[in-house]
Amino acid sequence: MSPALATTLRNIAAVARREFLWRGRTRTFKITTVLLVVVGVGLALAPVIIRFIDRGSTGDRIEVVVGDSKPAVDVPGALGLLLNAPIPGLPTDKNTTTAYKVEATGDVDAARARVLDGATSALLVLDRTAAGDLAFTLYSKDTFLSRTTQLVRQAASSIVIQDRLTRAGIPPIDQAALFAPPEFDVLPADPDASTDGPQTGEEFASSFAISFVLSILLFMAIILYGQWVAFSVAEEKNSRVMEVVLAAATPFQLMSGKVAGVGGLALVQYVVVLIPSAAALIFQDRIASLILGGSSNIALPEGISLPLLVVFGIMFVLGFALYAVLYAGAASLVSRQEDVNQIVAPLTIVSVGGYLVASYAGTGLIPIDSPLVIVMSFIPFFSPYLMLTRMGQGTAGPAEVAIAIALLALFIPVALWIAARLYRSGVLMYGQSPTPRTLWRALRAR
Amino acid sequence: MSLVLDNLVKRFGQVTALDGISFSVDQGQVFGFLGANGAGKTTAMRIILDILRPDSGTATWNGTPTTDVPRRTWGYLPEERGLYPRLEVLEQLVFFASLYAIPRREAAARGREWLARFRIPEYEKRRAEELSKGNQQKVQLIAAILHEPDVLIMDEPFVGLDPVNVSLLKEAFGEMRKRGTTLIFSTHQMEMVEELCEAVVLIDRGRLVLGGPILDVKRSSGRQVVRLGVEGDTALPWLAELEGVSVVRSGEDYTELDVRGRDPQDVLGAALARGERVTQFLIADPSIEQIFIERVGRAPSEDHHLANAGEVPPPTYWVAR
Repeated sequence: MSPALATTLRNIAAVARREFLWRGRTRTFKITTVLLVVVGVGLALAPVIIRFIDRGSTGDRIEVVVGDSKPAVDVPGALGLLLNAPIPGLPTDKNTTTAYKVEATGDVDAARARVLDGATSALLVLDRTAAGDLAFTLYSKDTFLSRTTQLVRQAASSIVIQDRLTRAGIPPIDQAALFAPPEFDVLPADPDASTDGPQTGEEFASSFAISFVLSILLFMAIILYGQWVAFSVAEEKNSRVMEVVLAAATPFQLMSGKVAGVGGLALVQYVVVLIPSAAALIFQDRIASLILGGSSNIALPEGISLPLLVVFGIMFVLGFALYAVLYAGAASLVSRQEDVNQIVAPLTIVSVGGYLVASYAGTGLIPIDSPLVIVMSFIPFFSPYLMLTRMGQGTAGPAEVAIAIALLALFIPVALWIAARLYRSGVLMYGQSPTPRTLWRALRAR
Repeated sequence: MSLVLDNLVKRFGQVTALDGISFSVDQGQVFGFLGANGAGKTTAMRIILDILRPDSGTATWNGTPTTDVPRRTWGYLPEERGLYPRLEVLEQLVFFASLYAIPRREAAARGREWLARFRIPEYEKRRAEELSKGNQQKVQLIAAILHEPDVLIMDEPFVGLDPVNVSLLKEAFGEMRKRGTTLIFSTHQMEMVEELCEAVVLIDRGRLVLGGPILDVKRSSGRQVVRLGVEGDTALPWLAELEGVSVVRSGEDYTELDVRGRDPQDVLGAALARGERVTQFLIADPSIEQIFIERVGRAPSEDHHLANAGEVPPPTYWVAR
């Protein structure tokens, strides 16, 4: 190892060490870490907590008034079956799905009053149209688009069909068999992709949730810890300690050390938060049975695979490094901490953009195989979000993931170069707002 | 063995901070770097330290470009003092030393020693922001010398120190000089220059005005200062008749004269010839302060860069000092 390289590494380590230890000892860091652990564990245990809070309630009650409509179907029975059936394409998330309790009643006004005071969640009144079809009126405090309303509407459609069949002379058949949901799987068209991707609706939904959560984790890390780097640069500039440090270390060493120190601390905080949260998630079952008694039917999330976690780890480190380096370069251009947010805003917007496109692609608002998503999943600023989402959904092969990682890794030295240039000119610039001309001059400076 | 600046040019946008500066500093010298505010002193220092790069020209230390000289060669006390506000004093010192490859334990020991010498050992565990400005400055200076640099470059080291601390600092200077450290500093306190420096340069508007060993600089003006005191009448109107002699200041005790192009002894001769009873006669070189004012000839407020600020677009970087 050449002496110059040894000096560079030593100085990066020294700067990183100071950044790591000092920041790690601040009260802010300790408080945020504790808060994040509480939030993480809380989110992981949310299903258990919700069930704990709900343990007294017997689920949503829906009252039905059949009146004079004389339907060919046992409406309360069929409604109960239909409402509590698992919905094809969505996970059988038994924790959040309300168990509906359907009861027949005769008094419309009294039932409406019960809906109003919350004892009953909805009232369904049956009638006949002039043409003889069944007509339904739902009294509810929910909106038209609420889950319960939509489920009742679907159930009503099924009941009407059975009623029409009976009126047309076809004898009624076993209701349980009639209203049982069909088997319904979604498979990728590409036969090669079929092994990685989610196989069933449930798996699909779970993999969506996983890639969504991973995107959020990445997004939070970049925004939160990237800001740490930016503020740390502005702080050094503000306290004028920058010039002293610059006499001892090069801008490149100073900046790399900062990114490494803050990044290391970010990783520590992440691990400290993730371990209890993951443990809570894994032992949810046990915790639930301890609190709620009996055996629990809370399921572990599916779709987390080792390759996905490894890629997440790589994307996390590289993505953070890319953004943090540029955050540092940008922050070196302002002299006051108040101006930091303004100068890093473009970077934050790019990050938010990548995150949003990833969420849209994950939820299907943008087709996951659209050219936009595919192209963006290779562009360094967006690839951490989008390649992760594509991989989670099984639409990106290992080769594509490897290319995206390689491009990202190759782009980091470019970002380092740009940021070190900005840094060299920027750190001694006080009291002037940076203009495009300044930036250009800084990049060309010797 | 010397630091050589050769024809350094540095521009910031439209402002020329250094306009072809050349001078050299011998190893082990105490060197004064003089000039009005905005003359280019800080820019030159930053170039030596490779914080800035010149547009043209070179800076070398013993023949090696300063960009290739190990950074631990230099110690630097910048004009804008800065410490990590919330870091403990000793930890700051250890951190700065670690950038110069001083082991932590060694750095802590040296740091304690210097804190004791500057009579602030009790501040070891205090955060920098809790210290007074003068004490912060002492910590800053210790940070600059802890790694025992070959060359110590200081921008206005005496500003903000009380007389006790000024003498402590002078003491430290003496000790570093004994160790062979080259000391380069800028100051506006000319009596410090006369007291401490072996050589000086004076720069103005980015150009070298004069430079060299301090005695040569003083004699370069081609004039001498004479103090003449006589009994009785102190007005001495006859002095005006002597060619090459002008009265700088008349006081109760003595009259100060500027003598140019003739032997100062002539003044004494003339006084004795007139039968004056001379009580004081002193010949001296002009002070560095007088030379400074004579050569730069204006107050800092008439500074070139500021005066032009309305005509040229504002500099893209900072106005270099």
